[in-house]
Amino acid sequence: MRGLRIYAIAYLVFLYAPIFLLPLFAFNDADIIAFPLSGFTTHWFEELTRNAALQAAVRNSLIIAASTAVLSTILGICAARAATMADWPLKRPMMGLIMLPLVLPEIIVAVSLLVVIVQVFGLGLSNATIIAAHTLICMPFSIAVLNGAFQNLDPALEEAALDLGESRWSAFRLVILPLVMPGIISSLLISFTISLDEFIIAFFLSGANPTMPVYIWGLLRFPGQLPVVMAMGTILVALSIILLTIAELMRRRGLKRAGLKDTGGFL
Amino acid sequence: MTLIQLSGVNKHFGDYHALRDIDLEIQQGEFFSLLGPSGCGKTTLLRTIAGFEDVGSGSIRIDGRDMKGVGPNLRPTNMVFQSYAIFPHLSVAENVGFGLRRADMTRDEKTRAVGEALEMVGLGGYGGRAANALSGGQRQRVALARALILKPKVLLLDEPLSALDKKIREQMQVELIKLQREVGITFILVTHDQEEALVMSDRIAVMFDGGIGQMDDPETLYRRPRSKRVAQFIGMMNFLDGEVAATGTEIEVTVQGLGRCSVAAEQAPGAVAPGPVSIGIRPETLSLLFEGETTTRKEVAAVVDEVVYYGDMTYYDVRVDGIEKPLTLSMKNLIGRPVLDVGTQTRVAWDERSLVLLGH
Ligand SMILES: Nc1ncnc2c1ncn2[C@@H]1O[C@H](COP(=O)(O)OP(=O)(O)OP(=O)(O)O)[C@@H](O)[C@H]1O
Ligand SMILES: [Mg+2]
Repeated sequence: MRGLRIYAIAYLVFLYAPIFLLPLFAFNDADIIAFPLSGFTTHWFEELTRNAALQAAVRNSLIIAASTAVLSTILGICAARAATMADWPLKRPMMGLIMLPLVLPEIIVAVSLLVVIVQVFGLGLSNATIIAAHTLICMPFSIAVLNGAFQNLDPALEEAALDLGESRWSAFRLVILPLVMPGIISSLLISFTISLDEFIIAFFLSGANPTMPVYIWGLLRFPGQLPVVMAMGTILVALSIILLTIAELMRRRGLKRAGLKDTGGFL
Repeated sequence: MTLIQLSGVNKHFGDYHALRDIDLEIQQGEFFSLLGPSGCGKTTLLRTIAGFEDVGSGSIRIDGRDMKGVGPNLRPTNMVFQSYAIFPHLSVAENVGFGLRRADMTRDEKTRAVGEALEMVGLGGYGGRAANALSGGQRQRVALARALILKPKVLLLDEPLSALDKKIREQMQVELIKLQREVGITFILVTHDQEEALVMSDRIAVMFDGGIGQMDDPETLYRRPRSKRVAQFIGMMNFLDGEVAATGTEIEVTVQGLGRCSVAAEQAPGAVAPGPVSIGIRPETLSLLFEGETTTRKEVAAVVDEVVYYGDMTYYDVRVDGIEKPLTLSMKNLIGRPVLDVGTQTRVAWDERSLVLLGH
């Protein structure tokens, strides 16, 4: 029992201590990342606003992450819905194949996509290629989350809406959609996060304009830039916490509306 | 007036033959029940009428219109689902008013209609409640109000009472009958509870293995079952072996343990030919004769084998010479009437008119 508790605490320390170091050095008035700290500054954040290349990379990443989140969630909704409908031949093997990217090494996905896009289709590399690739790796997560949401629903709910005169589409919109909304938000959020910090695929597939992780990786060659990276990381962590909190609040509201018992969540 | 007509309806799920040659006519204003054991196809039949399942062959006509290719949203039917399917994200009033979304009515008219529908099912003033804050019985009423507000020609109910406990169930049975008379809408009820079907229905179709075994009013079904299977399913029945000697307006039959009898032709609702036959006797048509009691009916000697006391009734299993299985009979516990002990020598009175001849 005692050992387990120590293990849990150690785990949390290893998980979160590096993250707490981010704001520490982001506001530290020194070029090098080392203790002791040498005073408070917002200099690195100011630098951030002056670094046009970094801003472009962040903008790129945000566009890619948002597009990926939307695409992967929409496709995930279609797949999860198909999975809840009546059995059709090949349904099981198809679902299995869709989930496969979950266990494929990313480097293999990246290399094979690069070959297909450039050699087979002869297309150039752009944000679109990254979005497509990120959608591919985010889909399994979206489907897993959305499958859960769809399968919790009583199929009679949709039939009841049909029975009361609604068309298939409006039954979906009026009954299914509001009830799976928490799942949709989770899916958006998860794919957004995965895409935002994905490195390998973005590294292989980005064209002239790198994503944020790729740009940061490039910065590491210049130690003097490290505190700027720390400032960047601080903003990202704050953003993630805000997003997670919103998602969790939405999830609880959804559960309450659906009249379901809360069975754990993030916060 | 015939409101619903099914002819030659067949339905397969893969290799499984779920509905077999269903022929059915249901009258306007009738309370019709589909009764049968689990898996016999009751829900499937109800869902084909609602339009959730399409039929393989055969036709369904509602109010004279062929329903082929007509979706559930366009049929003049509404359904109360077994799970009630109350929309959990909507209030009670929003649930009940859901079907009025497309109706050509003003907001006030809709509000009034919802209020009236809730009033009708005894939930007046509950409109503002969250749907998931309701008890099972209340959810059932919301489902009813939601379906009835559209004034369908037919209301389909799939085991609407099975999720309720016994007391509320019996109360709801009475309320449903009253409601049906009040609104005059045709009800089709699916149930596997034979008592519920007998209590509530104008007519009952007993289903086995996807086919209709017998379709009659409750009394005929109970008194004149056409087959051993139906007789077994509805109420309690003793079965004896017999041998038909001659048929005609009177049927001559030798009954195991009871001897030679002659019964009226109507007591053999399924056609009976000379030869071996199964004979049914209801427990309540047999009675024990107490010490010194005499009867104008026939009697046979018996020994009490088992006694089950129910309060208002006592069920006895008695052994009669020449019958291997004990006969079950029921006696009202009238004042001054003793409950006999196991092993008591007694006599059983019986009547030729209460025998039912059943095909095997
Ligand atoms: N969508 C389906 N796909 C395959 N088989 C089905 C489907 N729906 C029903 N069946 C089968 O058809 C048969 C009849 O089912 P149905 O639900 O109509 O029975 P029921 O009489 O309503 O039984 P219960 O009293 O248990 O509700 C069952 O054997 C069931 O397994
Ligand atoms: Mg059923």
